[in-house]
Amino acid sequence: MKAELLRRVIVAPVLFIIAGCIVLSLVQERLPGVKRARPRAEIEVALPLFVQVALAGGDRHLAASWAVLRAMVTETARMAREEYQILGQVQEDASWLNPAHEDNYYIAAAILPWEGQVAPTQSILRRATLARSFDYQPPFYYAFNQVHFRGDALGASEWLRRAARNLPDAEEQLTLENFAARWLDRSHDLDLAASIVDTMAAQAKRKDFAAYLRQRSQRLRDLAALRRAATTYHERYQRPLQSLDDLVRSGLIAQVPADPFGSGFALDQTGLPVLAGGVAGGGK
Amino acid sequence: MDVGFSGIRFSLVLLAIFWVQELVGREVERRTVLYALAYPVSRAAYLLGRFLGVVVLLAIAATTLGGLLWLSVVQSGGQYVQAYPVHTGWPYWLTIGGLWVDSLVVAAFALCIATLSTVQMLPVALGAMFAIAGKSLGAVLDYLERGADGDQMLIERYGPLLEVVQYLIPDLSRLDWRTWPMYGIALADGSISLGLLLAGGYVTILLAVSVLTFGRREFF
Repeated sequence: MKAELLRRVIVAPVLFIIAGCIVLSLVQERLPGVKRARPRAEIEVALPLFVQVALAGGDRHLAASWAVLRAMVTETARMAREEYQILGQVQEDASWLNPAHEDNYYIAAAILPWEGQVAPTQSILRRATLARSFDYQPPFYYAFNQVHFRGDALGASEWLRRAARNLPDAEEQLTLENFAARWLDRSHDLDLAASIVDTMAAQAKRKDFAAYLRQRSQRLRDLAALRRAATTYHERYQRPLQSLDDLVRSGLIAQVPADPFGSGFALDQTGLPVLAGGVAGGGK
Repeated sequence: MDVGFSGIRFSLVLLAIFWVQELVGREVERRTVLYALAYPVSRAAYLLGRFLGVVVLLAIAATTLGGLLWLSVVQSGGQYVQAYPVHTGWPYWLTIGGLWVDSLVVAAFALCIATLSTVQMLPVALGAMFAIAGKSLGAVLDYLERGADGDQMLIERYGPLLEVVQYLIPDLSRLDWRTWPMYGIALADGSISLGLLLAGGYVTILLAVSVLTFGRREFF
């Protein structure tokens, strides 16, 4: 009886051990062929704002620092394009938690807009500009993005002048204000651009700079007048302008205006008057 | 400096909860409180004395930790000159003071729980939860005040609730003034005085409740 019980007690575990060994050997044979799931993504998750705050023990500044640290250690060379959206969200959240965070806006300006994340970058820079009223860099980067990525010359010029006001050095201020005036050449609304440059001239402390700005505004007005005349010409003759002299010959203008900066005016490929050799497009 | 302030804030809160637990919670649990109460001293005086002890200990901790952070901030720059240097003068020490007051509110809350709790870890657990809730409240209120990213339904649903909550839990973020030493951003008028009044009012209520509950407490 005892021998029977002992046999049962021993046999059952031995059978389980053998079964286990068979399963294990089968698994071990096949497992090396199964590909391991590797975490390839550099940055995968943007946690909700309040989860970030709660994880930081309720300290929003710590939550912001943590988010910025994530952004800093993210290796952009290994990132897929869709991951930049997550990075943008992480950094935008960080700017909400601490809008004055210097590293956050700096990294965002350096990386995000170049990967299609212009909207979060501008949001971060706008918040940083408001929070860091002493710092010229956030409005400077905002202005650059506005003109480079969005083609908004008027907005860019305004933000660049805002940046100029924060510069401690008068010469540097003048340089940025000059850029602000020059970017207005790219504006589609040239009359408005000219009036902005006039306002800048009125506010300029240095007389020579004010005179320079007035020349720029006059040039924009001349260009606007040329474009209006070109439109009239097109409507009247049902063909695009071939040469600026056509406007003079058709009596729409008395003469082609002289450019105070010497570059002159030209036509682009569609017959639209532009600044020759300037930023408004290639001249003829 | 930013992360340092967060570290001090965390440390002071943890120390506040720990000291309240050690000086009151554990005494009650071990009944050693009875030896102290055997002297001609009222329960209220005993409790307030213990709280005052925690206040002083936290002040020493805040000064020590603040001093260490100050040293590391001043020394870590080396020859590097920041474009926008941090302010290590009295705005810095005012911020440390704010963090100290913050920890006092948490200490008062933990004390209140310790006077009525029969579970040893309850003051620690509830104290920590209170600290997190109080510190998070500011961010939540700020989010709703700024329009909750246009989510009107969220404002309608949680706005009235938070109106009530902010009377129950103090907005401890009002005692965090670090933007001044870090960025030189001047604080809004009344933010310091009203923050201190908020903390003072809350501590007063909590201590009064603590004295009441401790006075009626039976230790057997």
